[in-house]
Amino acid sequence: MSRNSITRRSFVGAAAVATLAPCITPAKAAGPIRVISHRQPALEYYTDQMKKALPEGQVSVELMPIDKEVELASITMSSRSDAIDVAYLNDTTMQKFAASGWLEPLDDLWAKYKDEFKLDDFPKSVIESISYNGHIYSMPILTNTEMFFYREDLFKDNGVALPKTMQDYMEAAKKLHQGRVSGTVMTLKPVDGCLNEAHWYLNALGEGWFDKSWKPIFNQPAGVNAISTMKQMTAFAPRGFTSAANDESTINLQQGLAAMGLQWFTRAASMDDEKKSRFVGKINWIAPPGGGQRIANDGFAISKYSSKDKDAIFKMVATAASQESMQRGAEFAMPPRLSVLGDPGLAKKYRWYPGARASLEVGKPFPSMPDFLDVGAIVTRYILQAVTNEKEVKAALDQAAQETTELLQTRGYYK
Amino acid sequence: MAVVLLWPLGYAVYLSTFDYHLGSPGMRFVGLANYAQLLSEARFWQSLWTTIGIAFGSVAVEFGLGFALALALYRLTFSTRVFMILLFLPHIITPVVATLFLKWILTSNWGLIDATLATFNINPPDWLGNPMWARVCVVLADAWIFTPFVMLVLYAALQTLDQAQIEAAKIDGAGSWRIIRHVVLPSLVPVIVFTVSVRLMDVFRFFDTIYVLTGGGPGTATETITMYTYQLGFQLLQVGKASALGIITLVIVAAIIATFSSVLQRGYGRN
Repeated sequence: MSRNSITRRSFVGAAAVATLAPCITPAKAAGPIRVISHRQPALEYYTDQMKKALPEGQVSVELMPIDKEVELASITMSSRSDAIDVAYLNDTTMQKFAASGWLEPLDDLWAKYKDEFKLDDFPKSVIESISYNGHIYSMPILTNTEMFFYREDLFKDNGVALPKTMQDYMEAAKKLHQGRVSGTVMTLKPVDGCLNEAHWYLNALGEGWFDKSWKPIFNQPAGVNAISTMKQMTAFAPRGFTSAANDESTINLQQGLAAMGLQWFTRAASMDDEKKSRFVGKINWIAPPGGGQRIANDGFAISKYSSKDKDAIFKMVATAASQESMQRGAEFAMPPRLSVLGDPGLAKKYRWYPGARASLEVGKPFPSMPDFLDVGAIVTRYILQAVTNEKEVKAALDQAAQETTELLQTRGYYK
Repeated sequence: MAVVLLWPLGYAVYLSTFDYHLGSPGMRFVGLANYAQLLSEARFWQSLWTTIGIAFGSVAVEFGLGFALALALYRLTFSTRVFMILLFLPHIITPVVATLFLKWILTSNWGLIDATLATFNINPPDWLGNPMWARVCVVLADAWIFTPFVMLVLYAALQTLDQAQIEAAKIDGAGSWRIIRHVVLPSLVPVIVFTVSVRLMDVFRFFDTIYVLTGGGPGTATETITMYTYQLGFQLLQVGKASALGIITLVIVAAIIATFSSVLQRGYGRN
């Protein structure tokens, strides 16, 4: 056999090497960038912008309810899997994920692309809300606040004044609770929905969640009064309020099954959408009675375990968060960019902006602790036990406070 | 077999002796502290009683209905196969999908039942929002999915009955109820023990139906041990404590099945 002849063995060997070569050489993982996000109109728009930022087929987006999304992200990232590249996170979940070491710090990429994407356009307060321990972890996509939605026609017809306090709110709910129209929506599905609603009551009527040393105070007399009021309000809520998430409450308002209630700014545009709402132009917005409702800064974070090109991911997210994109996205969500927020045309164009600005002035973010969602998982269960008469309010909140203390003890909050 | 069964079990036992939170950098050995903490928790006991209530409620409904349907099929002289296929349909569908059907039927305001009753100006209960009704709905949902399984097993067992014994009982003047009680049921004891044991084990571990239908709520009204384990493991990411709860569940289920089996065998001996 000559030296130059190709034997079957050498041919098979060469073929094997050629086949395995791509696996041996270090390369970025193939396949589309996988984005997971909560499903709501604003995020549908922004994830769509991400898809358009790259050639078709290079981005896959999955939208789901917030609790499922956070759960999926937690399980995937805690197991250090690269199955998810980008996740939508609000400020509370971002802190938890960053503290757990599951997110890619974005400082270097932020500095690298600062001029290209005009990243100085974000206010300092927003940058702080997407940072943890001095590092940036997320691309801000929307500033969100809960507002008080109300049916202007029903208020007029029944001679009800706009509520300024919780007491006014309860009186209005009593008067407007007629036939198939419930007095108010209540979004009490654990964890997120119930946590938001309780946050409002505990701030408007109570003294909040914790004292300065992270000891629970929601079971103190003011907190018990707040949750007792919440329990009384459930008498005027639509049936199914214990399992109602934002979607259900939005539909209740759109279909005339409720006269008013707390809901996110991002849901306002859909009230004037003829395809979804039966009361276009009849729903209006003000700051929630008593104030203290939740405000949040949400964004998209990159998984530390993503095997895709992080520069490409960052540019994709930054494109979705660009000035031009946010100008169009202002219909669905309050843009965090100063240049867009300062546009006087917004209030003229979108009639819910004045209500949103008033709400932002009286709102409060969740307590700034990475473990607040875990606390919420405990507390919301007991709040629901209280409002459904399974337990006395005081007993339920005491048990919630005890379990919260035990949890925070194990997480090193108390010296 | 040992690798498949004992390795994961051993690993769970190992994990249960650690304070292991997925968000924290390390694991801390705590011995039996996770077990002690769980056994002193009101929430654990509440979830255990909820599990027992739902499990025995579901199995009772499934056995009662399943046995009645099996007897009806056994006595049917025409189209038995057609009826059996129709009755077996709910069990063919994946439980999650079957529960989603039920959720859309039971959901408030725009669910099938509510929408139908609303046209007659009837205000039904809040099926999934009221703690008591939520428990009832979970029991009925599980029964709807698994009664066909019980029916099929008992129907198969009825085919093996000794007809001579039934004929003899009839000659002695026994009515239908006495024949069922004194001839049919004693003959079926081994199959009943098997079926009820399997279902009890299943219901003690069942998760998908509750997860989709109520998520353990409202509050903790339908929070079973598996729902609590899930919440500890996948929401609070407390892997050590969740593993300990898994081991406790295993011990409880084994004890209940052993007790149930021996009591039934003694009470309905094959003599």
